Amino acid sequence: MVSKIMEVKNLQVGINHDNRDVAIVNGISFHLNKGETLGIVGESGCGKSMTSLSLMGLLPPGVRWQDGDIQVDKLQFKNFKNKDWRKVRGKKISMIFQEPMSSLNPVYTVGDQIMEMVLNHENVSKKLARVRALEMLHLVGIPRPNQVLDEYPHQLSGGMRQRIMIAIALSCNPEILIADEPTTALDVTIQAQILELMKKIQNQLHMSIVLITHDLGVVAEMCDRVVVMYAGEIVEVAQIVNLFDSPKHPYTQGLLKSLPDINVQKEYLSSIPGVVPAPGNMPIGCRFAPRCPMAHERCKEAPPLLTTSDGSEVQCWLYDDGAEKEEIR
Amino acid sequence: MNSEQDVLLKVDNLKKYFPIKGGVFGKKTLQYVKAVDDISFEVKRGETFGIVGESGCGKSTAGRTIMRLLEPTGGDIYFESKNLANLDKTQMRKIRKDIQIVFQDPFASLNPRMRVFDIIEEPLINFGVTDRQERVRRVHEVADQVGLTLAQLKRLPHEFSGGQRQRIGIARALISKPKLIIADEPVSALDVSIQSQVLNLMKDLQKEFGLTYIFISHDLSVVKHFCDRIGVMYLGKMVEIAGKHELYGRPLHPYAEALLSALPSSHPLNKKERIILTGDVPSPANPPSGCTFHPRCFSCMDICKTVKPTLLEVENNHQVSCHLYQDTGIVENNPQDSPLLYQEAGVEIR
Repeated sequence: MVSKIMEVKNLQVGINHDNRDVAIVNGISFHLNKGETLGIVGESGCGKSMTSLSLMGLLPPGVRWQDGDIQVDKLQFKNFKNKDWRKVRGKKISMIFQEPMSSLNPVYTVGDQIMEMVLNHENVSKKLARVRALEMLHLVGIPRPNQVLDEYPHQLSGGMRQRIMIAIALSCNPEILIADEPTTALDVTIQAQILELMKKIQNQLHMSIVLITHDLGVVAEMCDRVVVMYAGEIVEVAQIVNLFDSPKHPYTQGLLKSLPDINVQKEYLSSIPGVVPAPGNMPIGCRFAPRCPMAHERCKEAPPLLTTSDGSEVQCWLYDDGAEKEEIR
Repeated sequence: MNSEQDVLLKVDNLKKYFPIKGGVFGKKTLQYVKAVDDISFEVKRGETFGIVGESGCGKSTAGRTIMRLLEPTGGDIYFESKNLANLDKTQMRKIRKDIQIVFQDPFASLNPRMRVFDIIEEPLINFGVTDRQERVRRVHEVADQVGLTLAQLKRLPHEFSGGQRQRIGIARALISKPKLIIADEPVSALDVSIQSQVLNLMKDLQKEFGLTYIFISHDLSVVKHFCDRIGVMYLGKMVEIAGKHELYGRPLHPYAEALLSALPSSHPLNKKERIILTGDVPSPANPPSGCTFHPRCFSCMDICKTVKPTLLEVENNHQVSCHLYQDTGIVENNPQDSPLLYQEAGVEIR
């Protein structure tokens, strides 16, 4: 029996614009099982990064947590104060960011930055923290860890910096790792190294990973389950194989079809017409309807998340006809 | 057909070195970053030539040096049998009518204070179309071709999404009726659903106007989809040039092989054996001796550490710069023999 380690319920995050609440993430719910890798995919502006930041309590100024809750074990994040967050960050949930160039502090050595995390969370001496930092560098496969410990981030390459980020994130054995586009800024050969490393460490430490990405190739490589987001909403939740073999939502289908496939040669790629709507100017009803080839009368009404016969959940009226497809909410 | 006529652009031993200045007044040149180090290739009329490689390999510098946005340090660039490297500024300006460029970042490459109409019109003014009526007609025509409405022409760039801005960039390149368009990562800043729109547009335009593209990208699946022939660059050098089917079917250079195998699979059940390269790309200011790839190469031999390999045609339409193939003495135009020779050279054939 798989147990849930994290549950997100009806999360709504947004900004206040002209005295009006504009939702960037509009009431999404999903869960993370122990030991699995959950992918969150979507295009820029779909709210996937805001979702990940709210999991860490790191929403930027001006963006508010409007509704909903996140539950990890028995903790409810909704009413967390700063000091509560500090206990959770790094210890229970850790995060690695997209830009390894800008997310490390340039004026501290690599060793200091890893030790900072350890000293914050654990009652250990500086000496022990340094030993721990060295172990972490070994774990993430940094060559000559003894010297790197005393080097500054600018002396390292992009791939090495991302390894350092991972070392910092994992230094206190978190149960959940949130990886926000961890390989987007890296070259393909380095990306392959980092993905391999994340898989290896996940097996060693039995972590659960939330992987946020726009790259479906990375998703195919890493994830067990996938959440597809569009315009601040979840449009599909599926097991990885189902997502690629029988994508349900027209958006997911369009997304998969618009990828150039290295094994198939065709003259033209299919594409999704139009652009993602801006927050605050969302279409009424199904948000994908204006770009959807299958849109019909009913799409003027917002569809619920429906469960299909193979267990995928999809937010689309097309799956509301059969008896086997029951409404879950 | 005359093969000489067929070649639109021929790049010969092109070099671009950037000096690293030092000393008390910063006037002494300490060493050079060899961003583009002796590359040669040909682009045929009407084809799409792809240049792939990782960041810092010199692919963008190559693109810019070809149209002399950067002055080449050495080498020749023959465009329709004129050597661009020898032209002075005025002559070069005229040639730029035929060679245009589309930049990577559609957010930075459009002047935020100019209206879209003016942005697209500007090249016409530069190239001496003095009749205003004519200019308006041409802008409207090209806007229609790339899918911009007339109402949109009155707006400013910030009102557009990334994909739309890239259309503006393409319109600007297209309006002078160029023969060659250098597209420097034109879709890498775009989302996949928008990326395919822009790629399809570029393909349509190529058919309609018989354009030739040099398509610079780091995305191997996009390159495979879009290009006819592909050059793989590593640390300022071309390591392999081949037709796309030859390259993707059987990459010869170990770097090309590793690059292709590093590509994430397109299906979760279709996991492949990976060649994971160790280490990072070395600094181009201080490249390794011999073959620049040897410290990361999994088939590295003794000779690779000291002797630089040269780019040789080992098969029909397939050039590679690697010692594995240089000593084997593979005869040109005799591909039937080559598999055996590859095996002897210790290369796995897939």
